[in-house]
Amino acid sequence: MLELHHVSRSFAQNPVLNDISFTVPGGALTGFVGANGAGKTTTMRIIMGLLSADSGSVTLNGQPLTGATRPNFGYMPEERGLYPKQPVIDQLVYLGQLHGLTRSGARKRAMELLARFGLDDRAKSKLESLSLGNQQRVQVTAALLHEPDVLILDEPFSGLDPIAVDAMSSILRDYAARGVPVLFSSHQLDLLDVLVDHLVIIQDGRILADSSADELRATQASRHRLSLGSDTGWLRSEPGVTVIDISGHEALVNFDSESDAQRVLATAMSRGPVAEFAVHRPSLADIYREIIK
Amino acid sequence: MNASTAPWLIVALREVETKLRDKAFIISTIVTLLFIVGSVAITGVLGNRTSHFTVAATDDTSYQVLEQVIKDRPDDVELSISRLTPENAKQQLSAEQLSAILSASDDAREFTLTGFNEVDQELSSLVREAMKSVMTDQLLAEAGLESSSLPDNDDLVTDQLHGDSERAAMASVMGLVFSFLFYMAAFLFGMPIANSVIEEKQNRVVEILASTIRLRQLLAGKIIGNVILAMLQLLAFLSIGLLAAYISPIQIPFLGIVTQVAGWFVVFFFGGFLLLAGIWAALGSLATRTEDLQQSSGPVVGLLMAVLFIGLYAKGSFLVVASYIPIVSSAAMPIRLLSGEVAIWEPVLSLAILLAACWLVLLFAERIYRRAVMHTGGALTLRKALKLEV
Repeated sequence: MLELHHVSRSFAQNPVLNDISFTVPGGALTGFVGANGAGKTTTMRIIMGLLSADSGSVTLNGQPLTGATRPNFGYMPEERGLYPKQPVIDQLVYLGQLHGLTRSGARKRAMELLARFGLDDRAKSKLESLSLGNQQRVQVTAALLHEPDVLILDEPFSGLDPIAVDAMSSILRDYAARGVPVLFSSHQLDLLDVLVDHLVIIQDGRILADSSADELRATQASRHRLSLGSDTGWLRSEPGVTVIDISGHEALVNFDSESDAQRVLATAMSRGPVAEFAVHRPSLADIYREIIK
Repeated sequence: MNASTAPWLIVALREVETKLRDKAFIISTIVTLLFIVGSVAITGVLGNRTSHFTVAATDDTSYQVLEQVIKDRPDDVELSISRLTPENAKQQLSAEQLSAILSASDDAREFTLTGFNEVDQELSSLVREAMKSVMTDQLLAEAGLESSSLPDNDDLVTDQLHGDSERAAMASVMGLVFSFLFYMAAFLFGMPIANSVIEEKQNRVVEILASTIRLRQLLAGKIIGNVILAMLQLLAFLSIGLLAAYISPIQIPFLGIVTQVAGWFVVFFFGGFLLLAGIWAALGSLATRTEDLQQSSGPVVGLLMAVLFIGLYAKGSFLVVASYIPIVSSAAMPIRLLSGEVAIWEPVLSLAILLAACWLVLLFAERIYRRAVMHTGGALTLRKALKLEV
């Protein structure tokens, strides 16, 4: 489990991170979302030891991370970067060696991962001759080479085609299943909905949410969607009901309790046909939009 | 190689490997080696071209003169002489079997040197000198005197305060060679250090590297890798050049001194290059794009031009001062060692100064590198880089 405790960082008197704390649990995929400039990349760079925090600490399984290097972390920086003029396999082997793998071990591992991304036939090509999507896959491969204990990925899905998104998702799930804490940032909210187990939301250098996806969804689980045969305006005057949205025959409401829900359903049925009366499952995208409002 | 290989070594080996796979580098090295062997060979041939003459005498006095020529001739002149009848001699000269015929007048006071269609200048002046000395000896003998009792040219021995002119010529040629080797290596292996630092900074690979190994190890690996390459190439150039000089059939003068000074040069080259490598790395980390380097590398280029000019022109006390200034000393001290006697403590002291400067520059370069290489945004000045927070 990776934890941030009260981390703050300013650049030239401009606070970028303001006393942030959150947890990246092992064995789960943690999504890290926030608008551009919210502080995601700065946070990740502090986790990686590339930036120092002005105050606060980062711990892994309770042990504070010290020094600049995190040799057992897998990292994919925001700005992609490998050696454009070098063959793919050569640079992967080099990075693997720096992570402490043997030359042959690194080669074997790199080829396995490339095969998983369908790139094994491009191993000897220069990186710059690959499409951007494929370069991205190589970048991910570089982060995974040494079987990292922690994965920190800045926008791993950006620029990937749907097939590659699936491959990337399944790889990330594999790592999470092994108990590795995985933190990744993304702007693709719909993707987060199907992928993440845990969500951290950051805005203007403050953490707005740090909880499991299920918990977040549960906060809004009392929402119901109603679709009736006639106008739904009467719901506004029902006790125990908070109307979120009404438009003609349809309504989105919050019930104070389950009994309120059952009573309203009975009333609705006595007033006419009920086409839909369902618990509304909010997507994480909806929740995110709700929270950052 | 096992899993515990030190990171700097992995980085250094990669630098070496990348360079050795670079065809342009291999080709330019081979071409330079051929050029070195070629110029050693040509110098030998040009410097030791021997002239060969076959001259016939048609009378005894002429023969005596020719014998005197053989005695007095310089090393690069070979002379075969024979005594022939005038008719025979003329025949052989017509057939161009002879270079010339020497014949005396009846009273043996005047001589004629006859060539086929021209008489070689060198030959005629040799014969003239010999003729004078033979005739002088004859006159002296008639007067009852020994030629050795006369004052002689040999009574004046010339000497110079600063070595001899041949050695000075050798020193200026070899000085230029050493300066040029240093200059070339500084660009050939120094510039790539800066460029590879910029490449990693520009592509942000450095973020991945920095989270994996310490930046100090990365920098050390880069510098060590290029120092290894530069030293290997220098040793190849020097050893092939010296080997060619030693096995050349013609004796090349001052080879012993040159070999000895080459040893010193290797040590000074090492120190000077190491220092420059630190500067190149720091310059690379300050830049954002390769284009920035062209501006910021000005001072280094200036320093290297100084090295080259010292090889060409430096003399006297200017050279002595230069031989203690780091980097410049890498060329200047070997030049001093080539041109004359230098007390042993002088190169040792100069080397100590060089290595101390090296240490300081590398420490400073590491400070700048560590701060600047992670910086994103525009190119940095030295002052800004030092103010950066890590």
